[in-house]
Amino acid sequence: MNPFRAIAPYRDLVANLVGRDLKSRYKGSALGFLWTVLNPLFMAFIYIFFLRLLGGRGMPITMEDIIIGVFAWQFTVQSVNAGLNAFTGNANLVKKVYFPREILPVSIVASALINFLLTVLVQWVLIAFLLWRKGAMLSGWTAALPAVVLYHTLFNLELVLLVSAANVYFRDTSHLVGLFLSAWFFMSPVMYPLSIVDTLSKSWPWLHDLYQLNPLTLIITAYRALQIPGATFPWSTAALVGWLWPLVAGVVIWRVFRRAQRYFSDLL
Amino acid sequence: MTAIEAQNLGKWYHRQGIGVPTLLGTLAQWGRRHDTERFWALRGVDFKIERGQTVGVVGPNGSGKSSLLGLVAGTITPSEGTVRATGRISSLLELGAGFHPDLSGRENVFLNAAILGIPRADVRRRFDAIVDFAGLREFIDMPVKHYSSGMYVRLAFAVAVEMDPDILLIDEVLAVGDMAFQMKCLDRIRDFQKRGKTILFVSHALDMVEEFCDEVFLIHDGRLIQRGKPGDVIFSYLRAYMVRLGLLNVEEHGTREVEIRQVRLLDAAGQEAATFFTGQPLIVEVRYQANRPVEKPVFGFNLKTGNGFYVFGSNTQIAKYPIASIAGDGIMRLTIDPLTLMAGRFFLSLSIHSWDHAVQYHRQEDLHPFIVKDASEHKGLFQLNTAWELKPAS
Repeated sequence: MNPFRAIAPYRDLVANLVGRDLKSRYKGSALGFLWTVLNPLFMAFIYIFFLRLLGGRGMPITMEDIIIGVFAWQFTVQSVNAGLNAFTGNANLVKKVYFPREILPVSIVASALINFLLTVLVQWVLIAFLLWRKGAMLSGWTAALPAVVLYHTLFNLELVLLVSAANVYFRDTSHLVGLFLSAWFFMSPVMYPLSIVDTLSKSWPWLHDLYQLNPLTLIITAYRALQIPGATFPWSTAALVGWLWPLVAGVVIWRVFRRAQRYFSDLL
Repeated sequence: MTAIEAQNLGKWYHRQGIGVPTLLGTLAQWGRRHDTERFWALRGVDFKIERGQTVGVVGPNGSGKSSLLGLVAGTITPSEGTVRATGRISSLLELGAGFHPDLSGRENVFLNAAILGIPRADVRRRFDAIVDFAGLREFIDMPVKHYSSGMYVRLAFAVAVEMDPDILLIDEVLAVGDMAFQMKCLDRIRDFQKRGKTILFVSHALDMVEEFCDEVFLIHDGRLIQRGKPGDVIFSYLRAYMVRLGLLNVEEHGTREVEIRQVRLLDAAGQEAATFFTGQPLIVEVRYQANRPVEKPVFGFNLKTGNGFYVFGSNTQIAKYPIASIAGDGIMRLTIDPLTLMAGRFFLSLSIHSWDHAVQYHRQEDLHPFIVKDASEHKGLFQLNTAWELKPAS
């Protein structure tokens, strides 16, 4: 079965669920949207403050790098955290009404994507300002950003399909995912540049390859390479494998999800 | 054309609740055999429902009725066998399952319709009809968390029925809402039937099942025990299951010096029946056996409605029908003619006791259910003999 054909008649449902999510998030708080931007922004400020404090001016990372890293990281974390409760939080709906179960993960990622795109707008303003102070401009490659965003979105969807189904079968998934996310945060170049790993991996070249298998490493680095003039993307075989394996994993995850969803209403 | 078809349909659950499954818990039990007993909510169910049929499903609580509807709706995956439904299904399994409390009624109509898989354009076209049907025009922009439960249900029902499904699944939801709304819902269901839609209808309101359905399924312990004409199936349900399984609050006690051996409810033709008609006779035939000779016994009966309202009671003493003595077995006939009860479900209690009420020989409380149907359009509990007379002043 074609995954997209199954969902197509339910476009309206996705639109409605996303609308419901965004509305309930922003309704009743005038600062609703501001919070989604302020949160990662504060995180970025805190990181840069402590990095400067610890590493001094010599830290090879700029405010722009951190803002891009944190916003991108936020997109994945938001998706995964909301995804954990995609089914467990909608037990009533799942048990009582039939609709393709992929709808819930899809709408969660879609909703997170909209948030992310809004923050990207803010991000551009901030970066443009920071670059302008250095006499630079957003790179022309920024135009290619949608391709990376699309890849990032599909990758998040895979994660959400995985954790949402896992959480139905094992309710302690959220704890494990919490631990995993903390580790993953430090294993991805969110608040440090890739070059730090380069220096570390001088003695262990395989570490560098291993590091590049992490799709988030590639995604964040690609975001930086596209937007910041002078930043480059370190192509390597490992990076290529890193880009490709989530596509294969996606097919497997989708198959597993299709099987798992048959018994959701029994377990909820 | 077949609308719903089930073949060897079955669904089981684990009897032992594992509670909330956890990964750590599962890993801790890795390799250890845990025998979880299977509980079959439904098993070996075969049926075909033709398009345009209205099928009622009756059975005691926990018999598998709701599982059957869930399987047809697709929310539950069969453990064995298959079930196939052709056409768009709208299920009134749980009204307002997709409602979001913070959103307004208007927004929820669109959300709910989307969950049921209805295109937005269709909803927009039918929006006014939905709101009118629910009678919520002034409240449609209010968040549904401020709705009363009746308003909530009305809106949900309106969405579900306005969606023009091919198959409508109804699970005991018509009991909600006030009288006026219920009438509207029933009208809508009749309208569905006229337009050749298929309806699968679970209810404990047996008179409603009997009125609306072309066919009734009796389900007990996960098995489809009987299917057939509504009157017949409801008859066996009432007689065999509700009474035998102790589902009614029935009671039987007494010294059994005189025993009620058998009770038959007979219609005008002398045939045993469960359904009787207003204005026609109802004959109760009590086969008794006196295990010792008893002086001046009193035979009594009373009638109650389905919800326990005491309708009428009498006995041979009150009716001035003194019995000198009885010994051995015999038959006592009680004729109620004409039956002046109106349509509804009633319960007959019988008793044989001593003349001074000191000894209860045998008493059967609410043990004999029956249904009364009324051909006229009169309303109420009793048939009163009435006549109208117009006398214009000029």
